[in-house]
Amino acid sequence: MSRALVAIRGVSQRFGAGPSGVAALDSISLEIPDAQFVAVVGPSGCGKSTLLSLVAGLRLPSSGTVLCDGEPITAPMPRKVGMIFQEANLLPWLSAVDNVAFPLKLRRVAKAERLAAARRMLELTGLAGFEDRLPHQLSGGMKQRVAIARGLVQNPAVLLMDEPFASLDEQTRMVLGDELLRIWSETRKTVLFVTHSLNEAVYLADRVVVLSARPGRVVDDVLVDLPRPRNFAMAASERFGALKDRIWQHIKSAERA
Amino acid sequence: MRRHERLIVAAAALGLFALWETLVRAGRLDASLAPAPSTVAESLIRVAGRPEVLASLWVTAWEVLAAFVVALPVGLLLGFVLAEVPVLGALFRPLVNFLFGVPKSIFLPVFILVFGVSIPQKIAFGVFTTVFVLIMGGIAAVQSVPRELITVSRVYGATRGQIIREIYLPAMAPILLESARLGMVFNITAVLCEIYGARDGIGYRIAAWGENLQMPQLYAALVIVAAAAVAVNEALRAVETRLGAWRQRT
Repeated sequence: MSRALVAIRGVSQRFGAGPSGVAALDSISLEIPDAQFVAVVGPSGCGKSTLLSLVAGLRLPSSGTVLCDGEPITAPMPRKVGMIFQEANLLPWLSAVDNVAFPLKLRRVAKAERLAAARRMLELTGLAGFEDRLPHQLSGGMKQRVAIARGLVQNPAVLLMDEPFASLDEQTRMVLGDELLRIWSETRKTVLFVTHSLNEAVYLADRVVVLSARPGRVVDDVLVDLPRPRNFAMAASERFGALKDRIWQHIKSAERA
Repeated sequence: MRRHERLIVAAAALGLFALWETLVRAGRLDASLAPAPSTVAESLIRVAGRPEVLASLWVTAWEVLAAFVVALPVGLLLGFVLAEVPVLGALFRPLVNFLFGVPKSIFLPVFILVFGVSIPQKIAFGVFTTVFVLIMGGIAAVQSVPRELITVSRVYGATRGQIIREIYLPAMAPILLESARLGMVFNITAVLCEIYGARDGIGYRIAAWGENLQMPQLYAALVIVAAAAVAVNEALRAVETRLGAWRQRT
């Protein structure tokens, strides 16, 4: 195993001080090597999204440290970390290509250069020909493709995905899952993928981290030993079922509590 | 509106004028109260050519513009502050909401007492009336900015200035323009309170013609003021539609 690209060490997060405060995460430690696809699952409200926002540098943990490439994360690191949310969160007044180029604009990259990079990313995500559409002229799946292109445009080492397909319909979700795996195999990013769907987690990831109910603790760390490239038939395999079952046992007991 | 709808509207307007004209000529409508459209049109040409009328129009236009130029930044800035500073918002928003609903014309005598019957009085009253619309607009504009977009920009390393320029301003633009347009409607109405007491301005002329029962001139002035107000409103609306195209759903 290569050196950890993202290291989460003894991280706890509390919201609010005193007895009325809520513990969201409890001493989480994870070492994620370069180019690994990690899914994070857990019962509702277990702090999965909070964990991602810590890696994104949007907030500081109450205790512990988060490192990216050996460097502590104390603020957003746009050149190292891209993020995709449940909603595409595109700027509605910008065209698809301008949305993808937005992170580069913030860094004052010259216009021609940033538009060229954005076009390449739209091509990678299968949206060539839709560059000039406004967000409201795109379908939900296409908007999320634009968001993925925006996440990749600075060629960050890490891609954080916070339930990115949760508001899409089943078919779109399956197509985008395969697309994401294709993009991942072409770009070899380290992916941290939060999801509610065990199918999605096992189908996409190399490794599934299972969190407990609030405050979130790591209760299992499952290596997904299914071969790549993944295909739809694997989802019906015995191994797939066994992995899903193992994860489901943790979630079931937590959700019942 | 589609083409045939526009034709219908135009035909209806023409029909109305034709009916009005016919009724006056047939003696069924009192020409001294409702002069025929042809008489009004004739009077419009004469009135619009008189230098003292043109001068009055300029006075009013100037007052409207001056009041707007003051009220616009003051109102919007107050709105932004009330929306972004929770303490001030909690303190003053109830007061603003309350005053917004009060008809401003009841304060006109106070303005006349303080400033006298004068141009500053009309401008001050215009500012007072308009500023509430713009405060409400400023608050609504800030609240219309999607918080998620601010989070996204922060993830991509936006500075405070960049968040204001790249997210706040474009997100607020349609509502800001809408408030400016609405504010202008209130502003024109306030300045035209000069009808109730003034020494100059087109409102003063209208009042004088009305008192002397010079109906053709009165109606001609109404046409001019209405046309100017509609022109300003439509110009602002055109900009609003252009800048707010992204808000439209297909």
